[in-house]
Amino acid sequence: MSERRPYMRAQPRDWWAHKPYLGYTLRELTGAGVALYGGILLAGLISLARGPEAFEGFRSFLTSPISLLIHLLLLAVMIWHVVTWFQTMPKTMPKLIVGGRHVPQQNLMVAGVALAALCSVALIVLVLAVGAWS
Amino acid sequence: MTPHAPKRSMSPVFWLMFGAGGMLSALFGPALIVLTGIMLPFGLGVPGRFGDYAHALRFAQNPLGKLILLAVIALFFWHGAERIFLTLKDMRAGALPVLRVATYGVAALLTLVTLALLLEIGF
Amino acid sequence: MSEVMERAKTIELRVLRYRPVSDAEPVFQAYQVAYSDDMSVLQVLQSIKDTLDGTLSFRWSCRMAICGSCGMMINGDPRLACNTFVRDLAPNPITVEPLRNFPIERDLVVTVGDFVKKIESIYPYIIPKTPKPVEDGEYLQTPAQMAAYESFSDCINCMLCYAACPQFGANPDFIGPGAMALLQRYNGDSRDGGQQLRLDSIAGEDGVWSCTAVGVCSDACPKQVDPANAVNQNKTKSALDFFLRFLRPGEKS
Repeated sequence: MSERRPYMRAQPRDWWAHKPYLGYTLRELTGAGVALYGGILLAGLISLARGPEAFEGFRSFLTSPISLLIHLLLLAVMIWHVVTWFQTMPKTMPKLIVGGRHVPQQNLMVAGVALAALCSVALIVLVLAVGAWS
Repeated sequence: MTPHAPKRSMSPVFWLMFGAGGMLSALFGPALIVLTGIMLPFGLGVPGRFGDYAHALRFAQNPLGKLILLAVIALFFWHGAERIFLTLKDMRAGALPVLRVATYGVAALLTLVTLALLLEIGF
Repeated sequence: MSEVMERAKTIELRVLRYRPVSDAEPVFQAYQVAYSDDMSVLQVLQSIKDTLDGTLSFRWSCRMAICGSCGMMINGDPRLACNTFVRDLAPNPITVEPLRNFPIERDLVVTVGDFVKKIESIYPYIIPKTPKPVEDGEYLQTPAQMAAYESFSDCINCMLCYAACPQFGANPDFIGPGAMALLQRYNGDSRDGGQQLRLDSIAGEDGVWSCTAVGVCSDACPKQVDPANAVNQNKTKSALDFFLRFLRPGEKS
């Protein structure tokens, strides 16, 4: 007659709010920031489709202090997305072996963030150039 | 004895869109926010008229412009939808079908809206 | 005289006890134990069992972080008891609990059966790509080819990664990091031809797709196996396979 009576402790409902998981939760929430910015772009597209007056209304909102605040917050969230994205992305690749040695994931992260910085800077420079040329 | 392989998950579809949106937003997101939220509205470094109705319309009527707008808006929504869905699932915020409709469903709807608007704006 | 002085330090261990016959649910029991700076938490537990309370049950074997037996939660973190030192945790009381996310059999002993089944389910053996008889000699492999999978072969089955993984905590049917590390050990082996078979076994919701890249499994691993990499690179492979399978001959989808 077995005396076994295995006891299963329930997972706490708020596990995602405590260490070591809180960092992961915050990382995932940057996705909400990305979607929110997409929403702002969609709002602009909707106003554009509605005509010049609606679009001017949207442009005028973009010059308001609240819009500036929202965009600065979204910028901070987006930058955190960039950093955590390249921390996580190397996990989805097979281990890189260059010259017989493993490339540490840290190196891939730095390369990724550098690439992202380059791309964003390049886009801004492109727009500045078009602005200066026209 | 070979146990039969488990039923395939549909997750790859959402995961790949999450990945595409994540990469696009990682590479260009900061610049886009700075451009559309700060530089263009306040005319910093770019002439203010670049953001006016005529210029915006020309961009949105251009086929390449449409592609860029659709890719950025839709992929940003699908990226967010996957992450918000999984976070709500972690938080046990509700039944999974409900969470899916609230996230993927909304992303799908907004993608269709974007497509419809881009077509309505014309060429 | 100096030995007595050295042994005068005591530490409090709060151990989660559970005796299925007499306890309705687990309950903490505190022990005051003498310790010296060289002692591991495992040695303190052994000291308790030998001198204070012979009823305390826990698994251990090698005392040197290679057998994988002594995994438990120490101050809330999944750790090997033999590899965790009192000097790093003293003078505060140390909380010791069985590995999270597993059913408790008794005291610090958890049920391992499902983990073993998962390991067995991913074809944990070389399925030769081009089988050859023994007379034709060994299957050869360059150092670079071995480097491609070697870290995944370092797994000691200690299950700390399962205790760390909140998605396994939420879904006990999730194949989990340890089994995925073993899967990648074989799929990454140049001698093996069973990649598709193993990929098919983890293409479901309880396969790789329960993982949300939390990443704490790799942080908890005492052997730097990097199970997070094993799981997530197979997300990429599984996702590509999802779409490219229609190009494969004889695919029944």
